[in-house]
Amino acid sequence: MAYLSMGEAHRRITEYLNRFSDVVLNQDGSSLKQLLSVSSNSPLLLSLADALNLFHDYNRLLKQSDRFSQISEIVSPLFRSIQNFRLGNLLDSYNAFEKAANAFLQEFRNWESAWALEALYVIAYEIRVLAERADRELASVGKTPEKLKGAGSFLMKVFGVLAGKGPKRVGALYVTCQLFKVYFKLGTVHLCRSVIRSIETARIFDFEEFPVRDKVTYMYYTGRLEVFNENFPAADQKLSYALTHCNPHREANIRMILKYLIPVKLSVGVLPKNWLLEKYNLIEITYSNVVQALKRGDLRLLRHALQDHEDRFLRSGVYLVLEKLELQVYQRLVKKIYIIQKQKDPSKAHQIKLEVIVKALKWLEMDMDVDEVECIMSILIYKNLMKGYFAHKSKVVVLSKQDPFPKLNGKPVNS
Amino acid sequence: MTGERAQRERLRDLAVFERLNGNPGKTSPTLAVKKFCRTIATKHTQASDVRPLPVLEETLNYLLNLLDSMEHPFEVVHDFIFDRTRSIRQDLSMQNIINDQTIHMYEEMVKFHIISHHKLLTCSNRPNFSSVHYLNMEQLKKCLTSLYALYEENRDSNSIYENEPEFRSFHVLLHLGSNSQPLGESLSLWLSHVPSAILKSEEMFFARRLLRFFRMGNYKRFLCTTATEASCLQFYIIEPYINEVRALALSCVNSCGYIHHPYPIAHLSKLLMMKELDVEPFCNACGLKISTDEQGNKFLATKQKIFHYSKDVFPSYCLLGLEHFER
Repeated sequence: MAYLSMGEAHRRITEYLNRFSDVVLNQDGSSLKQLLSVSSNSPLLLSLADALNLFHDYNRLLKQSDRFSQISEIVSPLFRSIQNFRLGNLLDSYNAFEKAANAFLQEFRNWESAWALEALYVIAYEIRVLAERADRELASVGKTPEKLKGAGSFLMKVFGVLAGKGPKRVGALYVTCQLFKVYFKLGTVHLCRSVIRSIETARIFDFEEFPVRDKVTYMYYTGRLEVFNENFPAADQKLSYALTHCNPHREANIRMILKYLIPVKLSVGVLPKNWLLEKYNLIEITYSNVVQALKRGDLRLLRHALQDHEDRFLRSGVYLVLEKLELQVYQRLVKKIYIIQKQKDPSKAHQIKLEVIVKALKWLEMDMDVDEVECIMSILIYKNLMKGYFAHKSKVVVLSKQDPFPKLNGKPVNS
Repeated sequence: MTGERAQRERLRDLAVFERLNGNPGKTSPTLAVKKFCRTIATKHTQASDVRPLPVLEETLNYLLNLLDSMEHPFEVVHDFIFDRTRSIRQDLSMQNIINDQTIHMYEEMVKFHIISHHKLLTCSNRPNFSSVHYLNMEQLKKCLTSLYALYEENRDSNSIYENEPEFRSFHVLLHLGSNSQPLGESLSLWLSHVPSAILKSEEMFFARRLLRFFRMGNYKRFLCTTATEASCLQFYIIEPYINEVRALALSCVNSCGYIHHPYPIAHLSKLLMMKELDVEPFCNACGLKISTDEQGNKFLATKQKIFHYSKDVFPSYCLLGLEHFER
C-alpha cells in the first residue's frame, strides 16, 4: 500500500467535499449517486476511506467553509460510515449510514424536482445491504440482529415521502422492491401486504408509469407471495409477466423467475420446453426429474425428486405445489397403459384391468392394493383427469372412447 | 387475588368450582382462581397482582385435574378451565417468562383445547355450541402460535424438544379442509421456517402425508393412515374431517361406479372404515338409498341423482381401529 501523507489525505477529503457540494448545487443526480455507494468499494470511496482513517479531524474541515453547511448533516455521518466500512466495523458503519440517510431524506423532501431520485435509490439500496452486514456481525457475536428491521422502517419513511402527487412518485416502486427484499430476508412477508395495497389501490400511482426494471422485480416478488398463498393462477400471471418483461441478458434474474414459474406451470399441466431447462441449467438439475416423471408417468421418480430436494423445495415454498403433481403423474401412467393396450388390441384398449395397474405400480416399486388403485381411478375420473367409470365387481376401469384423458388447459386440477 | 376474591364474592361472580360448600357468595383461597381480564393495563398492574411461575404451575395442575370431573356437564368444566387458563397465559406473557416449565405449561394447555375440541362435538345439541367450539379453536391456535415462539426462543443450538414434533404436526393437520389459511399465514411459508430435524420427524411426516392424501382426494389412504398412525391428539384434530373424506368417497363411488355393479355395503364399510351398521345411516344422510338383494345383502346402487353433504349435520361415526380414542 502506497504511503499516504497527511497533506494528500487532506486534499482527498476536501476534493470530495467540493465535489459533493457542486453536485448538489448543480442538481446532478447521477454524479451524486456515485458519492453515496458505501458498500461498492469503488476506487473513489476506497481512497477517501484511507484518507479519513488517517485524517481523523475531518469535521473541522466541514465547519471551515459555509459552502459545506447545507451538506454537513449528511456528509459527517457518511464519512463515519465510509471510514468504518473500510475498517470492517459493519455495525458502526450501518449506524452512521442510517444517520446520513435520514439527513439526506430531509434534504430530499425540500428539493422540488425529482433530480435526486437515483441518488435516493442508492441510499435505499445501501441501507439494506449495510443492515444485512451489520446483522451478520451482530449474530456472529451472539447478539440479536435488529438492524435490517430498522432499515425496513427507514424505507417505509422513504416510501411515505415518495407517495405524493409530484414527479417523485415513480420512485415508489423501487423502494417497494427494496422493502420486499427486506421482508423476505427477515421472513416477515406478511408485512408486504400494506405496501402492496398502497401501490395497487392508491390513485396517485399508475402502474404503467413505473420503470420496467422495477415492474419486473415487483411482479417477481408478488408472484412468489402468490405461490406461498397457493393462488396458482395469480402466481402464473405475475411470474409470467416478470419473465416476458425481464431483460434477456439478465440470466441470473431469469433463472430466479423460472425457479418459481416452472412448478406453477407444471401444476396447470404446462411442461417447459427442453431448451428452456438446458439454457438455465441450474433449474435443470432440480426440476428435470420432476418433468421427466410427468412425461413418463413415473411416480417413483416424482417421489424421489421430491425427497432428494425436499429442503430446497420447502425453503423456497414450492414443495406443496410439486406434491400436487401426483395426480397428473397417475393420469400419465394410465394413459401409457392405454396406449400400449391400443397397440395390441384397439377394440379392447379402453378397458383396463386394475390388476394391470397394480403390476405397473409394483414395477415402479410402489406397493398399492387393488382397493387403493380403484380409489385413485375414481378420483381421476371425479376430477375430470379421466373420462369413464370403474366396475367394482369385475375390477376394471372403463375409459370413454372419446377423449379419455382431457387436458388441463391451463387450469389447476379440480379440487 | 384477595381484592379480586372479595369483589367477586360480593358480586356472586363465582364459578361452581370456586364455591365453598356450594354457596354462590363464598369462596376460599384454595378454591378461587384468578379470572381472565380483557382490559388489563400494564401500567396499573402491580407485581403483586401477577402470580409467579410456581403458583401458576400449581394452578394449572389443579385446573387440569378438574377435566376428569364427572359432577358437572362438560361445557361447564370447559368454560371454567378455558377462562382460567387464559388468565394463566396472561400472567405468563406479562412476565415474559421463557423457559422449559413455560413450554410444558403451554403444551398442557394446548392438550386441553384439543381434548375440548373433541369432547365439545358431543355437546352439539346445546345452544351456543358452534360459538363455544369456534372460540375454543381460536384459543387453540393462539396457544400453538405462542408455543412455537417459545420453542424457537428457548432453543439452544440444534436441539429439539421431546414433544415438539407432535405439537408442530398439529399446525399441519389444522390445514386439512378447504380453509386455506386458518392460522393467517401460508402453510408453505410456515414450513419453510421449520427446523430440518422437526420436518424429518415421524409425526411431521405423518401429518404432511395426511395433508397430501386429503388434497389429492386419496380417501382410502387418508382413512387407513389415520387409523393406523394417528396419536390420540392428532386424531382429535383430524376427526372433523373424517366424515368429509368419507362423503367424498361416497360421492366418487356414486358418480364413477358402473351402474350395473352396485357397491356392496360390506366393502363400503371397509373403504369408509366404518361399522357396517353405520354405513346405511351415513349414506341416507348423504341422500343416497341402499338396496337389498334376494339374499339379504345390502348394496349401494351407483349413479343416484341426489347427493348432498353438509359437515355441520353429521354425528361422528367412529373410525374402525381407533375406537379406543373415542371417550
